[in-house]
Amino acid sequence: MAFRQPSILPGFGLTFGFTTFFLGAIVLLPLTALVVRTAMTDWNHVLEVVFSARALASYRLSFGASLLAASINAVFGFIIAWTLVRYDFPGRKIIDALIDMPFALPTAVSGIALTAVFAHNGWFGQYLEPFGIKIAYTWIGIVIALTLIGLPFVVRSVQPALAEVQRDLEDAAETLGAGRFYVFRRIILPTVLPALATGFTMAFARAVGEYGSVIFIAGNLPLKTEITPLLIVIRLEEFDYGGAAALGFVMLLISFVMLLTINLLQAWGRRRLVGDRR
Amino acid sequence: MSITLDQVTKRYQGSPVVNDVSLNVGDGEFYVLLGPSGSGKSTLLRSIAGLTGVDHGRISLHGRDVTHVSARDRGVGLVFQNYALFRHMSVADNIEFALRVRRMKAADRRERRKELLRLVALEGMDDRLPTQLSGGQQQRVAVARALAHKPEVLLLDEPFGALDAKIREELRRTIRQVQRELGITTVLVTHDQEEAFALADRIGVMNLGRLLESDKPDELYARPATRFVATFLGAANLLLARQTSEGIRFGTTPVNARAVERVDTGREHEVVAVLRPEEVELAPTREQLQAGYLAQGQVEEIVFTGAIERMRVRLQSGAEEAQLAGPAGDSGTALIEVTRTQPEQRAFPLAPGHPVFIGVRRIHVLPTPLSSFSVFAAEEADAKKLSQHPLLAGLAAGMKTRVSVRVDATLDTVRAPGSKPDLAGVAVIAAGPESARQVQVLLQRGAGEVLVLPETVVAPQRILIHWVDETPRRATLAVSASLLRHVPAEAVYVGILPEGASEAARPQGVRTLLDARSEAQAVHGLEMRTELRVGDVVEQLAGQLAESPDQLLILGVSNTEVLTERFNRLFTASPGWPMLIVYRSA
Repeated sequence: MAFRQPSILPGFGLTFGFTTFFLGAIVLLPLTALVVRTAMTDWNHVLEVVFSARALASYRLSFGASLLAASINAVFGFIIAWTLVRYDFPGRKIIDALIDMPFALPTAVSGIALTAVFAHNGWFGQYLEPFGIKIAYTWIGIVIALTLIGLPFVVRSVQPALAEVQRDLEDAAETLGAGRFYVFRRIILPTVLPALATGFTMAFARAVGEYGSVIFIAGNLPLKTEITPLLIVIRLEEFDYGGAAALGFVMLLISFVMLLTINLLQAWGRRRLVGDRR
Repeated sequence: MSITLDQVTKRYQGSPVVNDVSLNVGDGEFYVLLGPSGSGKSTLLRSIAGLTGVDHGRISLHGRDVTHVSARDRGVGLVFQNYALFRHMSVADNIEFALRVRRMKAADRRERRKELLRLVALEGMDDRLPTQLSGGQQQRVAVARALAHKPEVLLLDEPFGALDAKIREELRRTIRQVQRELGITTVLVTHDQEEAFALADRIGVMNLGRLLESDKPDELYARPATRFVATFLGAANLLLARQTSEGIRFGTTPVNARAVERVDTGREHEVVAVLRPEEVELAPTREQLQAGYLAQGQVEEIVFTGAIERMRVRLQSGAEEAQLAGPAGDSGTALIEVTRTQPEQRAFPLAPGHPVFIGVRRIHVLPTPLSSFSVFAAEEADAKKLSQHPLLAGLAAGMKTRVSVRVDATLDTVRAPGSKPDLAGVAVIAAGPESARQVQVLLQRGAGEVLVLPETVVAPQRILIHWVDETPRRATLAVSASLLRHVPAEAVYVGILPEGASEAARPQGVRTLLDARSEAQAVHGLEMRTELRVGDVVEQLAGQLAESPDQLLILGVSNTEVLTERFNRLFTASPGWPMLIVYRSA
């Protein structure tokens, strides 16, 4: 028989009730509806839509490009965070503020802006054209768009973690004879890895769901530069609600599995850092 | 010598945090750098480790000059206050870190690790993560890690700071034991004097970036040379006394306390005496005092602390008989600290309010020539204002001494020769068109040092030292050393050869400089730099001073006439610089 202990922080019952209600009403219920809607559709049709060559190509593009973009962000976002945390230079505050711009911008605006720069007659694209490098309307353009919108996630999660890396740790490693690269690889990186993984996950999740900025630069050629969210919209425009729901279900499934994997990896990493004792 | 520092200086934004520190630490010695926070001790330790570069000076480890060698190649072990363990690595990986960097074989690493864990009494903890250990255990791991690569020097930066008293003592013992067992040269930084006493073979006390004194713990405690060390190492009552040809007197009372140390006699002057609380004797009557009588008093406050009783006793017989060096209260009475052992308490039980007779078992006279300040001005208001001058107030606060105010309408009358000097400590006047003559008058009245302050001064960063001839050399150096302990500035001795000095005179000039430097170092523990100039003395000094306003000149003279005749220009310059004139006649 558990004796009810008065908690130091009251209000657990109330807040927990709200938490479940909100999660249920706003997150879980719509997702359930999606699953139910898929289940209600004719199974043959579902399989046909989900495994069509066009759909398979779009999965590969959506998740592949998102992974690539998140990886690029992990590297460059880390470098940017490092620069912002470790160095003091004129204009640091401005650059710091600039990081958040992709958060605030409507994604369609980013898409138009990117197209203006990278299209074959755009500011930058026209110089790449003679070399046969095409960015707009290819998968490269998609990766660039997804990189842009994912960058703040990595920078903002790594920044506080980097700020917390004690200089003493680096000093200690140095007096023990470690060179700079060794210190980075063995001391700094492992310490900020959980934060980096969080940033990576968020950037990835955001990229998978991105629609607005991509459709402008992607060109949307079926089998080539068509992302899954676009395919869903196309299905909707054809009034094929069942097919759209089925595609959405697949995205949900793949995203869930990937996010779960990353989270588990992260939890394992954190346990190693913080220790088992609570 | 294991560690040799030669005039090491480190500046942050222009002001020195480590100021001309020279130090030798012998093989296998346990050296403790003691000082309050901000005294530069940690910066100095980091400089030895190579983590902080120095702006000036040299650092050698075992005879190898490592001034420009990076931390990773210096081969020192460093332990931090917050342990700085790698939290994502097990204890074993932490300890083997330095060995892994050096690509040692796994079997050898393992063997070395076992040996180190045994040394710090943590056997079997290999696979724990730092977060699974207590603070004391973590610091043990840090010590083991710092020793893994067999460094020649172990450096510890406040290693017990984050631990509670019991663990602290235990770890202290372990570190002392490890140090003895390995015979490794060790430098430990701390602000805790008890820790310093418990561990050190030798203690160096730092304040304001300077290494003030460096000696065995008992020597430092019994015979400190500076006020700072006297009051920082244990409690101390600082008393102003007069040194006369017959001995030390407090006011009119001669102190015949046993073991009064003598400083060089000569002219009668004011001195600062250190009276340790445990050297004070209390008795119900004057006849029952076994030690020399100091004054009458009244018990103000008693605190029981177990083994000893701490009390504060208010001096009642006033300034006539004993003066405390600290800033005097308005009533002219002051409190002295007393500690008594249990047997003493039983023999003469006391409660607050009881009248007592105070005796002195042993006093120690500080060799500092700067005892107190006396401000002179024609008007009361001017004198008050001058006594609150920021530079003077800062010095008095730093020296824990008093500034008394004298109103003297003209500063004209020179006392008849042979009459008793009425001056105590350093005389202070405001700079003005008449100040050269006023200094002259004060010196003739018996002042040994006169400080001249312009109305506005910048906190001095450089202190120029010069003496006109050899007579006041010793005194000027003593005054400089004493002053520099309380001012975070660099000392520069300016030697000046007359214009047209023959080539043959030059080596002589250089030798004078070097002699001055080594005398300052050996006799007064003052590190200073030297510059040699050629030309007219006044011209050169004025030129040097004109370079920047944050300078102060200490000028030693043996003849008061030269001030008005030759140096008048320095006194009348505008905006002017603070100047301290030191006078000793031949």
